[in-house]
Amino acid sequence: MKKPVNIYMDYAAATPVDAGVLSKMLPYFSDNFYNPSASYLSAKSVAEDVRSAREKIAKTLAIKPTEIVFTAGGTEANNLSIKGVMSRYPGKKLLISSIEHDSVFAVAANYDHQTIAVKGDGRINTDDLLQKIDDNTVLISIILASNEIGVIQPIAKIAKLLQAVKSDRLKRGNSLPLYLHTDASQAPLYLDLNCNRLGIDLLTLNGGKIYGPKQSGLLVVRTGIEITPLIDGGGQERGLRSGTENVPAIIGLSEALYKAQRKHKQTSKDISELRDYFIRELTKLIPDIEINGSLKHRLANNISIVLPGKDNERLMMELDELGVKCAVGSACSASSDEPSKVLKAIGLSDSQAQSSLRFSLGNTSDKQQIDYVVSGLKTILAKSYI
Amino acid sequence: MQKRQKVFVGLSGGVDSSVTAALLLEQGYDVTGVYMKNWSKDLPGMDCPWKQDYQDAKRVAVQLGIPFKMYDFEKQYRSKVVDYMLEEYRAGRTPNPDIMCNQEIKFKLFFETAIADGADLVATGHYAKTRNIHNSSNRNGQLLKAKDDNKDQTYFLYRIREEVLSRTLFPLGEYTKPQVRKLAEKFKLVTASKKESMGICFVGKVGIKDFLLHELGPQQTGEVIDENGKVVGQHDGAIFYTIGQRHGLDVGGGLPYYVTGKDMQKNQVFVTTDLNDSSLWKADIRVQDVHLINGQPKSSDIEVRTRHRAPLVKGRISFQKEDNKASVKLDKDIRALTPGQSVVFYHGSTVVGGGIIY
Repeated sequence: MKKPVNIYMDYAAATPVDAGVLSKMLPYFSDNFYNPSASYLSAKSVAEDVRSAREKIAKTLAIKPTEIVFTAGGTEANNLSIKGVMSRYPGKKLLISSIEHDSVFAVAANYDHQTIAVKGDGRINTDDLLQKIDDNTVLISIILASNEIGVIQPIAKIAKLLQAVKSDRLKRGNSLPLYLHTDASQAPLYLDLNCNRLGIDLLTLNGGKIYGPKQSGLLVVRTGIEITPLIDGGGQERGLRSGTENVPAIIGLSEALYKAQRKHKQTSKDISELRDYFIRELTKLIPDIEINGSLKHRLANNISIVLPGKDNERLMMELDELGVKCAVGSACSASSDEPSKVLKAIGLSDSQAQSSLRFSLGNTSDKQQIDYVVSGLKTILAKSYI
Repeated sequence: MQKRQKVFVGLSGGVDSSVTAALLLEQGYDVTGVYMKNWSKDLPGMDCPWKQDYQDAKRVAVQLGIPFKMYDFEKQYRSKVVDYMLEEYRAGRTPNPDIMCNQEIKFKLFFETAIADGADLVATGHYAKTRNIHNSSNRNGQLLKAKDDNKDQTYFLYRIREEVLSRTLFPLGEYTKPQVRKLAEKFKLVTASKKESMGICFVGKVGIKDFLLHELGPQQTGEVIDENGKVVGQHDGAIFYTIGQRHGLDVGGGLPYYVTGKDMQKNQVFVTTDLNDSSLWKADIRVQDVHLINGQPKSSDIEVRTRHRAPLVKGRISFQKEDNKASVKLDKDIRALTPGQSVVFYHGSTVVGGGIIY
């Protein structure tokens, strides 16, 4: 029997755990299962492995090991960052971009906050940012690379702008901090994450998007920033995240992040060639196709498109029946969810948002797969009732 | 060449309606799938499965290669079915929301909307049959029992009007449930292995008591009184008690109790431990709000069914046409005639009509 087609193009949603990453994790489930806080030598050896995993990450990100707080995934890291800072400064203000992940949008709703507009290409409108910062703004959260439209923000530049705002504040005797947080969950495979170059104060990472395990993640908290923990208990992670360390996840995250950053330039080059080929082929097939977000400042693996007038959920299901897995940019309001905030923020109408599909490429993607998907779409779009 | 007839099929995301659509397609109809969104609220202890059902319905449309639509009837369902149901419970009766849903939503609103959208016919995955009888001027539909006696759902369908029946298809009436499951596998439908959905989604999953508690709040406690007039315990709300039903009343003593009556004003529930208690058994049924399909039957000899899947009982019917009532004299006593529930009249395999016990 012919093997069924299985083309995965939803790497922004989840990545399979890399074989090398998995083999590094496996010993910590049953053989080296000890609680790193225990005092016998076997446990100390596990604690030592956690320490070196932490050091490896610190080196990769150009930070100190003490600036890492391991979390269960990216959502928790975003929560810890925003709640952790905001609860230290009651009544102060938060700014977030209008294209954040839900784990930022939802948390922000608890605080006095404003959203920063983006331009049509999805990039932050810096005039709007500067205009919305006032003397009570304590935290700004801007996603480094969008999970939905792949747009990359000039975080380092924004950090420089904030330096100027801070020194102006200080001159006027206002010592309120102005922290910059970025959710970099989608970035490690393709972008340089040297935190000094980025100039950030807080940074979220998620192992589940970089061929590491799900529910692994971390928050970078630069030295000198005080945050309140979400979870209290035995005082692990310097009191910022209690609970016995998830050792396999930490080991897996460390390895996955190391691998991602070591070759991010090459990966980005290879995958963006495929992405551009995909977009060219799609444009040939559907002349009125629209690409969501900047083509220039874009993650190498993201293809977010509008197929005008088409029901994206149906297209996704039709493709699934052909063995192709992709994501609806945002499901139709008739079905499950409201139209995506992100797509609306870049100026799409509800109906355009409900005609959006997202393909995100990864390490199994190749030209052959892209050709299959494009010809599949051609067949699907030829059906009169779609 | 004759134009293919356009059928709008109600796709619920379950196996029955999926197979219905597949069969009609096989029979040469021009089929459109429609998901009726009637209820989407989560309830305590239960996530409403509507999103999953909607997506399953849509997936079936994709697998069959047919157009798909959603009709949003949530408001009308609330007012015509749920509010009616709550009102009946408040009045001390035990309504049947499935019958109301068929009368008001599926075979009225859905039918009318589909026809307005260009359908020639509608279809659902009910186990029943329809047949058209032609007379001089118009086509009238008949409702008939399904081939699968065990699954026959005509009890829930007796309030459909004959002109709607004349444009309604129930392809599953010719099949048994196991055959339908096999067909679902043959058609490779995503719903082939899906578990049975229980009528109204929220009542099925949550249980009627929890639903009533959620909608109406905690009820006044009151006395439970036995056949000798003795107070044997307290109830937590008379609306929760169904006449004729065996109840695990929390009154100790071990013997099961049967509810024989309720006084909603005094908030009392009457029970007996004697299954032979005369108040539980009756041969006379009084029926109101009678609905007849194709007018009064020629013969007064009928068979009746007082619950879904209950055995048929012979009897004689007489109509009081002026106030839309009827009374049935059964050949033998039957148990648990519950006010608010329906009685359905049969002549052989034909559904003559039915009404509501009072």
